[in-house]
Order: sequence, then C-alpha cells, then structure tokens
Amino acid sequence: MEERLLVMEGIDKSFPGVHALDHCRFDLKAGEVHALVGENGAGKSTLMKILTGVYTKDEGKIIYKGKEIHVSGTKEAQEMGICIVHQELNLMPHLTVAQNMFIGREFTGKNKAFVNDVEANRRAQVLFDKMNLKLDPKTKVGKITVAMQQMVEIAKALSFDSSVLVMDEPTTALTESETEELFKMIKLLKEKGVGIVYISHRMEEIKRITDRITVMRDGMYVDTVNTAEVEMSQVINMMVGRTIFETANEENYTDKENVVLEVKNLNRGKAIKNVSFKLHKGEILGLSGLMGAGRTEVARAIFGADKFESGEIYVKGQKVKITKPLDAVNHGIGYLSEDRKRYGLTLSETVEQNISLASIDRYTNKLGFTNMSTITEMSQEYVNKLSIKTPSTKQKAKNLSGGNQQKVVIAKWLLRDCDILIFDEPTKGIDVGAKSEIYKLLSQLAKEGKAIIMISSELPEILRMSNRIVVMCEGRITGELDIKDATQEEIMKYATKREA
Amino acid sequence: MQNEVSKNQSGISLKNFINPARAQKFLAFGALILLLIFFSFASPYFMTFDNVVSIMLSTCVNGILALGIIFVIITGGIDLSIGTVMTFSSVMAGVTITTMGLPVWVGIIVAIITGTFCGFISGTLVSRLKLQPFIATLGVMMVTKGLSLVLSGTKPIYFSDTPSFRKITVGSFIKFGAEGKYSIPNGILIFAVMAVIAAIILNKTKLGRYNFAIGSNEEATRLSGVNVEKWKTAIFALCGAFAGVAGVVMAARLDSAQPALGQGYELDAIASVVIGGTSMSGGEGTILGTVIGAFIISTLTNGLKVMGVAQEWQIVITGGVLVLAVLLDKMRKR
Amino acid sequence: MKKSLVLGLALSLVMGLSTGCGQKAAAPAPESSKEPAKTEAAAPAPAETTGPEKIYIPLVSKGFQHQYWQAVKLGAEKAASELGIEISFEGPETEAMVDKQLDMLQAALAKKPQALCLAALDSKAATPYLEKAEAAGIPVIGFDSGVDSPIVKTTCATDNYAAASEVARHLAELIGKEGKVGLIVHDQTSKTGIDRRDGFVETMQKEFPNIEVVPVQYGEGDHAKSTEAAKAILTANPDIKGMFGANEGSMAGVMNAAKELNKTDLVMVGFDSGKLLLDAIKAGTVAGAVSQDPVGMGYAAVQAAYKAYKGETNPEFIDTGFKWYDKTNMDAEDIKPILYE
Repeated sequence: MEERLLVMEGIDKSFPGVHALDHCRFDLKAGEVHALVGENGAGKSTLMKILTGVYTKDEGKIIYKGKEIHVSGTKEAQEMGICIVHQELNLMPHLTVAQNMFIGREFTGKNKAFVNDVEANRRAQVLFDKMNLKLDPKTKVGKITVAMQQMVEIAKALSFDSSVLVMDEPTTALTESETEELFKMIKLLKEKGVGIVYISHRMEEIKRITDRITVMRDGMYVDTVNTAEVEMSQVINMMVGRTIFETANEENYTDKENVVLEVKNLNRGKAIKNVSFKLHKGEILGLSGLMGAGRTEVARAIFGADKFESGEIYVKGQKVKITKPLDAVNHGIGYLSEDRKRYGLTLSETVEQNISLASIDRYTNKLGFTNMSTITEMSQEYVNKLSIKTPSTKQKAKNLSGGNQQKVVIAKWLLRDCDILIFDEPTKGIDVGAKSEIYKLLSQLAKEGKAIIMISSELPEILRMSNRIVVMCEGRITGELDIKDATQEEIMKYATKREA
Repeated sequence: MQNEVSKNQSGISLKNFINPARAQKFLAFGALILLLIFFSFASPYFMTFDNVVSIMLSTCVNGILALGIIFVIITGGIDLSIGTVMTFSSVMAGVTITTMGLPVWVGIIVAIITGTFCGFISGTLVSRLKLQPFIATLGVMMVTKGLSLVLSGTKPIYFSDTPSFRKITVGSFIKFGAEGKYSIPNGILIFAVMAVIAAIILNKTKLGRYNFAIGSNEEATRLSGVNVEKWKTAIFALCGAFAGVAGVVMAARLDSAQPALGQGYELDAIASVVIGGTSMSGGEGTILGTVIGAFIISTLTNGLKVMGVAQEWQIVITGGVLVLAVLLDKMRKR
Repeated sequence: MKKSLVLGLALSLVMGLSTGCGQKAAAPAPESSKEPAKTEAAAPAPAETTGPEKIYIPLVSKGFQHQYWQAVKLGAEKAASELGIEISFEGPETEAMVDKQLDMLQAALAKKPQALCLAALDSKAATPYLEKAEAAGIPVIGFDSGVDSPIVKTTCATDNYAAASEVARHLAELIGKEGKVGLIVHDQTSKTGIDRRDGFVETMQKEFPNIEVVPVQYGEGDHAKSTEAAKAILTANPDIKGMFGANEGSMAGVMNAAKELNKTDLVMVGFDSGKLLLDAIKAGTVAGAVSQDPVGMGYAAVQAAYKAYKGETNPEFIDTGFKWYDKTNMDAEDIKPILYE
C-alpha cells in the first residue's frame, strides 16, 4: 500500500439553512493528480476550503503526513504546505508580482521596519526559473494576463514548499495554449512529488491529466475511481445520480410571430462585437458560451447597467433608448444578476423591502409617503405564489437560503410587471433541490407569456431549459441552435470558435 | 475557544428573548438613564429644572445636525460640511435680516434654502460627478467656511434690530408653574419637531426607503431601476436643509451669526449618530437612537462640568464613551 | 474574550471618571484635601448646607489649554487659596465656539455660585445668561477681553490697545522708523484681536509715516495656521523688516516662518509670553515683547468677585497692566513674576 499524503474522513459542515457537507471523505497520494468532480453546489469547494483553513469543519478529521491536524486559518495551512489556487484570483493588482507572492511574510532587515523588495524579487525569480516561467517579478500584477496571474498564484503556493496544491477550476479563464502551459506545469509539479487536487467541470481535461477521480453529489461522497479504468460518461452519471430536472422544454410556448425584444448590432469595445438576436414571447432563450465570452456583458448592456457604444434595441417593435437601468425597467426588462448578493439584493433589508424596491413608485402618493401595508400584502402574495420559504415578509433577506433569495429577486421583477426577464446564472450557488424549483418557475413564467433570456455555464441546464440557444465566443455570437439540434458537443464547438 | 462557544450560546438565548432592534434602543436609552442617575448622585445641582432645560437647549443644534447627517450616513457616505453649512446658513440669515432689512421669516427661508443648496452641491459632486463623499464635502466645508467669512466681513452679524428673531430659540411657547416660572425654550420644540419630521421621512417615505436600500447595496438598488444619483443628491440636500435649520436655531440662540464657528460640529453630530447605534458603513440607523445619542453627548458634557471634573478629563471621558458605545454595539450585533 | 476587553474598557472609563474628580479636587486647593481620590471631597458642597458657607466662584474663560489661560488659572487659584474659597476654570477648545461657552456658562450658573468671572467670546450672545445671573443676584466680573454689558460692573483686563501701541513704538525704533512691517493676529472678531491690531496699526500710521504696514493676516491663534499666514507675508514682501505676533500662537507662527524661510535679519516682536517666546528672546532671535500680567489678571478677577459677593464696590476697570520686556530686563524683579512658560 502506498503511503497516503492526506486523508480526510467524516467531514461534516453546515451553514445556516444548508447542510453543505455530509460526512465526506477524500484522500491524496504524493505525486498524483486527483480530480474532484461534482455539480455546482455538490460541496467540492467547501471541502477544499475546509482543507485549506478557510472554513472550520463541524466534524471529522484530517490526517496529513501521518498526523492528525487542526487547521484554523489559511496561513497555518500554507505553512504546513497545503495551498489553494482559487477560482477567483486573490491578487492585489497594484502590487508587483513578487510583492504579491510574499504578502504577509515580507523579507525585512534586522530592524524589522523596512521591506526588502530586492530579496523578494530574487526569490521569485529563482522560482520562476525552476518553473520555466518568463516573468519579471517587478511587474505590476494588474498588467499581466489572467493566465500569468494564475501562474503567479501557483508560484506563490510553491514558495511555501507545498506538498498539497488545490486547483479550483484553474482553466476556466485560460485560452487553449495557456491551458497547455498549465498542464506542463502540473506535470512538472507531479514529478516533484506534489499532490494535486484538481477541481474541474471539463471532462476532457480530467481524462487527460488526472490519475484518480472522486465524485461528490449534494454534499455527499459518491465514489473514487481510477481515471484510466473509467468512461467519462460513467463519471457524469455518478455526478448527476438521479434525474433531478424535469424536462422543461417538452412543451414549447414560444409565439414565433411575437418578437418581444430585438437587439441589433450591439457593440462595446472588445466585450461585445456586433451582437444581434431576437427574443419571442413565451420563449426561453439560452445564452451559452465560456466564462468571459461576453454573455453577462450583453445582458448588462441591454439592461442599461453598462453603457454600450453602438447598436439598437427594440422592445415590442418599438426602438427604445436605454442608458440606465431605470429605462430598461420602464420598458419591462428585468435583470437577475449572477451575483445576487452584490447586485440583486439589499441583504440587510427585509423580504418585502427587496420585493418592492423596483416598484415603490406605485405605492407612493404625491407627497412621497409610501403605503407600507399594501407593500406587505403584495409581497405576501408573491411569497405565496413563488413559494418563498420565509417566516414572514419582514424577515431579512440575508437569512434566506440561496434559492429563496433568488426567488425574492424574481418576485421583485414580477411585481414590477416585467415581461422580459434576463436570468444570469440563475442556479449559481443554489442547492440541488432548490434548483429544480427555479427550473419549474422558469418554465411556468414562459408558459404565462414572459420572454426569458437564460445565461448559464452549465450545459445540461441550458439544454434542458432552453427553446433556442445562442452561443457566444469572445464577444461575438458564433452560433444559434434550435433545441432539437443542440448537443453539448455542438455548443462547445461554437463556444470555442475563436476568430482566426 | 471552548469557553467562548458556551458564552456565545448564552448570548444567543438572550437574544431570543429580546428583539435586537428593540435591544439597541434599550441599550442607548439605558445608557442615558444610567448617566442621568449617576450625575444626579454626583452633584445636587444636576437634576434641577434649569439644568435639565440647559442640557436640552445645548442638545438642539447638535441634535438637528445629527438628524440631518444620519440620512447621509445611512447611505454609507459622510458629510463633513454640515457644521460650516450651518454657519453659512446663519450668516445668510444675518445678511437677509440685518444687512438687507428683510422680514425675519424671509431670513429663515433663505437660511434653509442655503443649507439645502449646499447639500445639493455636495450631493451632485458625490452622486453625479462620483467624488468620494469625504473629499467632496471637505471641499464644500472649506468653501462655505470661507464664504461665511467673506459675506459677514469676518465679523459677527447681530440681530439687534429684530428682537423677535431671538425668540425662535430662546423664547418660549410652553410655560407652566406660577407666572410661567418654568419655561421650555422653543429651540427644544424645534428639535422635537425636526426629529418627528426626520422619523417620518426615514420610515414612511420613498426617500427613506431608497435611503436604506442605497446604504444596504447601492449597485443592487441601481439595478432595480432606482435613479440612485437623483435620490442620493436629494439625501444630501435634505441633510443640508437640516443644517440650515440648525443654522437658524444657532443664530437665534447667539442672537448673532458667528462666521468663525462651525468647524468641528460635524464630528459631534457624527458621534451622536454613532452612539445612537448607526453603523458608519450604512444601511441601518434609527432617528430615536440618534436623538438619544445627541442627548448622551450633551448630558455627559454638562454633567461632567456640573460635577466639577477638570476640563482635560472631560474630553478623555467623552472620547472613551464614544468608543465604548461603538464596541457595545458591535458586540450586540455579533 | 472581546467581551471582557470591552468590560475592561468600561471599567477604566469609570476609573477615569473618578480620577477626573480627584484631579479637580487636587487642582484648586491642593493643600486642603488629603484624599484627592475620594469623590465626595471633590463635589462642591451645596450652598444650602449649614455650618461655614463654602464660597464657589467659577471662571468661564475663552480657552483653557493655552499657556496664557493656564497662567490666568494659576493666579485665580492663588487668590482662591488665600481667600479659602473654591473656584473652577473652564473655556471652550477654540475661540470660535461661542455656543460651547454658553453651555459652560449655563452649567456654572446651575451650581448657584456666589459670584462669576467671565471672559465672553461674544457679549451679546451671553446677555440672557447675564440677565439670569443678575436676577439670581450673582455678581459677574469680566476679565481679559471682558464682557460688553451694563450688567457687568467690573472688568479686570489689560489695556490691549495701549499695549499694542507700545509694541509698535518699540518695533519702529528697532527698524529705524522706516520700511515695511507685518502682523499676525489671532482673530478678527474678538476685542483683544481688534484692540491689538488697531493699537499697533494706528500707532504706526500716526506716529511713523515712513513705516508701511502690509495687510493683516489672521491665524486663529493656531501655530500651524499662523505659520502659514506669516510665511505668506514674508514671501509676498521680501523686503519686510519687522513682524509682530499679536498673541502666543500668532507669535509662534511668526517665529516658525522666519526659521523656515531663514530670515535671520527679521526683527520680531511679540505679545504675551510662553516658553517658546521666552527662549527666543533669551537667544536674541526675537527682539522683545509686551507681556500682560495673566497671573495678576486671574488673581484680580477672583479678588474682585469675592469683594462683589461681600457687597464691596469695585472700580469699573481694573487695569491688570502690561510691560515691555526683552533680553536685558526679563530677569528683573518686576518682570520675572509675570512671565509664564
């Protein structure tokens, strides 16, 4: 039996309202690449955050290099040699590469007062040489590409003499050639005996570079398999486990004659290039593409959250001018951001205050006084209609679970009579049960005649929910598919159709 | 660490008994009562009708400023200019009433319009021109301070020709006891009325609603189709209007517009708001808490004086109380 | 853990409170109280108590942290211990805070004192309180810039106009009765500011036609602001020969500016004393200054207040005097006691 570098057993973790991890386990050998897969919300990131000291576990034990350890902070974990490269990079753009790498443990002279940047630069350069990385440690991080920043994160991890390196979706923001560079790096690290935990959604990558795969589902451990001995389709089955989604698009309510929204030649710098499409009444239009393809940018431009340079927007045949969100809302367009907490909700306020936020005008008299009781009534109606789980409409939004928060945002737009709803990653960070409710709600809304644009990174979600799919790559629309012709492969083909 | 967990649990069970919002008011109010009791024992002169009225009178100006600035603080912003805007408004009243010889009511309106206008300028700088509130209002603070000195010719403007002006603050509608022996100065009534108006605006109107929403999450509010720029400007203007009222009350109390006064008053107002349990990061705050906060400051100042505490120590203690109030508030929220 | 920290803070605050009281007890009558930490010793005994009546006279001044006011306080305390009475001394943080002074006046009156000494920041604003004092039969004695009100029968003050004239004459002699001179004044609204400014400027104009006074600058008595103001004058008028700082803070500004701009030949004259100015005069960088007698002023104010309480009459104006001093006479018998550090 090989020596296990790391063993996690019986790890249990709850957050208010969510049982995130239910007695999970995981193990890692030195010099292996071990994939951790599962759907969004399966608990992969939570498990790794416990390992790296971001969260503390409720139960269970972690054995590292033969000894049980208690990690109480990221710094402690780093010093033990357990490092993570986060999906969202944690670098400070105004500092140099070397300053970022040694943040919190700067080299100082004898008097401890002055920071020795020369030493930091030298150490960073030594590491970069080992990694075959062509990068000047004195460059400001804000000036280098995302891929390079990722390399800096890896270098930072290595500078701790890490023996465990966790990579959380490292390739999402990378181009193909950059991905190749990353894989070379992983190979190099592997040879040096570093154990790598590789979290990814991309099956082809997992097949190519990992040795073993652990599957998680709904906060539970499913199985661990050897990559070489398993078909990827089997892994996907394990991930999904049961059919949790009802097929939403079996019925098609689309009214092809009735174009509710039309976008013509929308442009904004490199983010949006000549985007045109139509949206019909009762339709769910899936907007697909890789992260950074410009989907969110298009949505925000239509909603007036960002200004666009040129292009025309027609609502129900009328050309409209949208320069701020208020304009869009007045034309019946509602936008549900992927980042609810930042852009969708006023968390410290109550459910009814959130639901009524966009429609207060209607409940305000000429003197500026608002009619609170009507607001409570109307909010209650939507709480019932969307079955939002909350003790009362006076509950603060931050105390609701992710799914219910999402419903509150939906209720906000429904109360405002929005007919065009743009959902940006509507199920991000929502647990599985709530997901299917959101799906049900979406098709219900389409049935009632609302027109919906749904942006999603999850291909199964797009395929299950949409009537029609528009695929973007690098700010352009690269393909449009009817649901009948759409497959994951087809979408991916368009999503990676880069300009020559 | 284990101990801490058990402590926290007891804290949680306590919280279940008391509604947190009510607990906050209770906390500030309790502190005020405690102070009153303490000073009553410490000095026989403290709990006299005259002294209590003096405390209330000295709360008025700071209290009205605090009522204004709480709106801005709830948005997560700050207005450093209220002290000098107050002064500028009183100078404008002086110019109108004494220099130009217009009726007193015109002067009052001019003062309030002046304050509102200054607030509007700050608001525009912050919301439309995207300056940081600290910088924008620092600029307005200096401009209004300078303008006050320019317009007054660097001398106080006295309201000697209009004795009625003074009545606004020190005159009295409410008198009781034999021959009106006990009288409540009008300034206190004005403060009370302003507090009620502030509470209504904050809790019952659209502006109040948006005020909390902006403070809680400005971007989400904007994306909800709220014209954040417009409302933020309005909130600053409202704050300015309160400073204008404070300017009138101050000028009437001093029977003169003192152009050099004003700087430093914004900090007292901020302290009142913070002691009243409002967070500087925005999204929450109550009028009652602010009123109590203002009373705590003036009670403390008066009580320590009446007790005969050396002046140096008065400053130390007031600062300590401020920090303690914020710490207690933080503890409550955990 | 944090909770105990907060509680500890609360505790230290309470201790601070009692220490504060102790301070107060120790300050006015150091020899009388043997247990300064006891709060009971600190609280002024109510006037109604039987037995020997404790006389309490508060002084409400225009400031408290400047050396000048501390010297006034010293004189007042001296008088208090001689008379066996109790006093308190308070003033707002800046001289712009008119309303804060009124609050202090209110608090002082609430304690039902036997007499009151006041240096009003704005006499008109103080009128209602003076009326209240009059109604309660509390005599009010003005000191320093005094109080401009018929209720106040006696003022103990320096004749600031005359003192500033004296400074002007000395400066004129020092620069040979011709050339440019400048002055920094603490403010443009108070009586001391106006009198010192006018005394200096008008004397120059009347008696020394060849001397030009450049426009007056104001520094709020603040060291830093006065420095900036003085530098502005020196930069705008490189040929300036003499500078006058109208109070302690203004003079500090003039000295800083001369040092920063390396103006070694500038003739500087000041007002009041304080360690900075005394050292500079000793070293010869500053030619000389007029000193009021703040210690005597505090002493005279309390004495006059005591007399008024006893029903004796005081003269309307008690000139507490001023003296020109420089390197040669600053250790003289009649000068040394009035200088304070």
